[in-house]
Amino acid sequence: MATNRNLKARPKATPSRIQENIRTAKAIVDQKIVANDLLHVAETEELGLSDLPNGNISVPLNIWLENKSDLISRDSVVAVQIAADEDPEDLANDFSDVEIVVLPFVTHADGRSYSHAHKLRERYGFKGQIRAIGDVKFDQLDFLTRVGCNAFELPESENLETALQAFEEFSEVYQPAADGGRLIFSKRRAIH
Amino acid sequence: MYKYDAVDKTIVSERVEQFRDQVKRHLAGELSAADLQPLRLRNGLYMQIHAHMLRVSIPYGLVSSEQMRTLAYIARKYDRGYGHFTTRQNIQYNWPELADVPDILEDLSKVEMHAIQTSGNCIRNISSDQYAGVATDEIIDPRPYCEIIRQWSTLHPEFYWLPRKFKIAITGATTDRAAVQFHDIGLEVVHNDQQEIGFRVYVGGGLGRTPVIGKVIKEFLPREDILSYCEAILRVYNLHGRRDNKYKARIKILVNAMGIDAFREEVESEWAHFMDGELKLHATDFETMAGFFPAPAYEALESGDSRVQKWRELDTRFRDWYDNNTADHRQAGYRIVNVSLKEHGIAPGDATDAQMDAIANIAEQYSFAEIRTTHEQNLVLADVREQDLLDVWKALDEHRLATPNIGSVNDMICCPGLDFCSLANASSISIAKQINEKFSDFQELYDIGEVKLKMSGCMNACGHHHVGHIGVLGVDKKGEEWYQLTVGGDASNEAALGARLGPAIAKDDVGEAVSSILHVYREQRQDDERLLDTFRRVGVDPFKEKVYAEQA
Repeated sequence: MATNRNLKARPKATPSRIQENIRTAKAIVDQKIVANDLLHVAETEELGLSDLPNGNISVPLNIWLENKSDLISRDSVVAVQIAADEDPEDLANDFSDVEIVVLPFVTHADGRSYSHAHKLRERYGFKGQIRAIGDVKFDQLDFLTRVGCNAFELPESENLETALQAFEEFSEVYQPAADGGRLIFSKRRAIH
Repeated sequence: MYKYDAVDKTIVSERVEQFRDQVKRHLAGELSAADLQPLRLRNGLYMQIHAHMLRVSIPYGLVSSEQMRTLAYIARKYDRGYGHFTTRQNIQYNWPELADVPDILEDLSKVEMHAIQTSGNCIRNISSDQYAGVATDEIIDPRPYCEIIRQWSTLHPEFYWLPRKFKIAITGATTDRAAVQFHDIGLEVVHNDQQEIGFRVYVGGGLGRTPVIGKVIKEFLPREDILSYCEAILRVYNLHGRRDNKYKARIKILVNAMGIDAFREEVESEWAHFMDGELKLHATDFETMAGFFPAPAYEALESGDSRVQKWRELDTRFRDWYDNNTADHRQAGYRIVNVSLKEHGIAPGDATDAQMDAIANIAEQYSFAEIRTTHEQNLVLADVREQDLLDVWKALDEHRLATPNIGSVNDMICCPGLDFCSLANASSISIAKQINEKFSDFQELYDIGEVKLKMSGCMNACGHHHVGHIGVLGVDKKGEEWYQLTVGGDASNEAALGARLGPAIAKDDVGEAVSSILHVYREQRQDDERLLDTFRRVGVDPFKEKVYAEQA
C-alpha cells in the first residue's frame, strides 16, 4: 500500500505535512546538545528547485524524487523529509545518497512516523541519521530513540538539558527494537 | 499466577518515577495540561466530571489476596472507600488527587501492579476468561499466552500513539466468556489436526458507536508466531487507520473499508518481512510461562458433600446462592464461586474497601489466595472445596457479597453513566436501581433464568449494550435522558448484535419495558428456552408490540 507512487496525484500541503519552514538553533544528536543549521523546507504548491535556499536544508520527499542529482551535487548535507502520510519505501533506492531522513511531527499524537523509523532501520537497513522534528518533546524522546531516531529538534520553548533525562528513564525493555533492545523472552532464554 | 522478575520490577518502578517526574514538571508549570493529558491517560488517569479517575490494570482479571488488600488500602487512603470493577476486568477509583497518583502507583508497584496503558490510544489490558484453568469446557489454558502478550505490548515503542485504543482478548474454552469477537484482536487458543497449539485470529470486532463482529483473519496461527503476527496487524493499523476522525479511527473501520481479504493480504505481506525474526517464540518460552500457572495443590476429593446437600434442602437462601452463584469445576470436590457485586441498590461493580479486604481474606482461607475479576463486573473465587461452600457463603453474606443473582436480569453490566462520566448522555446507575426494584422477587428472577442485561449511558458503549440479551442505551433528547432498548445481542460464540426495539423510552418507563420484554418471553418460551433462544425463534416483533402497547 505504497501511498504516493504516483507523484502527480500526490496531495500537497495536507494536514500531515509541515506548513512552514522550521529551523531551530540547537538539536539533540546522539544524546548530546549540538548547534544546528539544518533548515527544513516546507512543501508548497509552487516550490521548485530554484526556490531552495542555500546552506543545509532538508527537502520534502517529492522535491527529492524529482531532483535527486541536482540535490546531490549541492555543496550541502543531503536530507529528505518523509511526512507521516508518506512511505519510506519511496526512498528505498536512495539510501546510499541520503545522509539524514527527517520525520516531521505535525502533532506528537500521530504515531505513523514511529513505524517509518522502524522500517527505515529494520527493513531498509538505513544507517544514516533519522531526525524527528516538529511537535517532539521530552516525553517522546525515549520511544523515538527505541524505534530508531537518533536526532531531535525540539520546539524553542523546551529545555534541552532537562530533555536529555528522557534517555535515562528506562533501563529495561520488553521488545526487540532498533535501539538494540531484545525480546524479553530471548533474554530470559539466555539466562536459563 | 505470574510473578515479576527483576526486569518487570525495574520497568514498573521506573515507570512510577517517570510519572512522578511528569506530575512534578506539570505542577511546576514546565509541562502544560495539554501535554500532560496523553501521558496521564497512558497511566490510567482521566479527568471526569467531578474529579480525576484512576484506572488500575488487572491483567486478564487475575488478582492475589495481597494485591486485593492493596486495592482496598488505596480505596481507603486515597479515595472515598470504594472502587469500581470494570468491564475490562480492571478497577477504577473515582476521586484521587493528581498529586497523590504517583504515590498510588508506587503502592501498586510494591504488589506487582500498575496502571500502564489502561487508557490512551495504545494497546490496553489483555482480557480473558474468568474461569481460565478451572472451566469444565476449557481446551487450553489461555493465561500463559495472555501474559506473553501483556509483556510484549507493555510500553511497546512503536504502538504507543495508535489512531485509537486497541483491545485484545483471549479465550481457550468452548464457550467464549471473553467476547473475543468483539475485540480489535480476538484470539481463540485451538489445536490443529496435528494437535499443535495455535490461535484462531479475529480482527476488527468492537462495540462503541459502530458495533462490528470480528472477522477471521487467520484460521490457524502457530503459537510461536503470535507476537510477530500481532505486530504485523498493529503496524498495518498504525500506518493506515484513520486519524482524521476519532469516531472512525478504530481498526474495525479500516477492516470494513478495505474488506477482510485485502486487509489480510496487507498483514500477510507485512508479516512476511519478519515472521521468522526475533519475535518468534520458542517452546521453552511457553513452558516457562506455563510454569507460572500450575494447577493449585488440589486435594483428592469425591464430588458431592453431604453437609452442603443437606443445607441446600434446609436453607432456601443457601440453595439459591449455590444454584445461581456457583459453577462446576473440572476438579472433583471443588466448585467455582461467583461473588456478586450486584447487590440491589449498589452501583453494579462497586465494592467497598471492607468488602475487598473480606474477599482477600476469604480467598486466602478457601481459594489459594487468588481472585478473578470478570467482564460482567463480578469477582470469582475459582477453587473452593465443596465442603467449604457453606462457610464461604456465610462469610460472603456477612459482607453483602452473596446476592444470589449471577446470570439473572439483576446481574447487569453497567457503565458509570452520567453520575461520573464526562461522556455520558444519561444515567445508568439509577436505571439499574429501577430494574432491581422491579425484580425484587428472586423466585421470579429464577423463573426468568439467564438474561444478560447490559447498559451504557452513551453510544460509546462501555456497558456493552449491543451484546446484551437486553440492551439499554442512554440517549440525550433535548436535555432529557431517554433510553433505547435492544433485544437478542450475544457476546459469546454465536456473536450477535441486538435488534432495536423502536423509539427511545422515557427514563421512568425503562423498568416497565424490561418487564414487558420478559413477560413476552415467559408467555412464548418453549421447554427450557432462555430469553435469547425464544428471541431467535420468534423475532423482535412480539417484544416490540408489547413494549409499545404498554407505552401507548
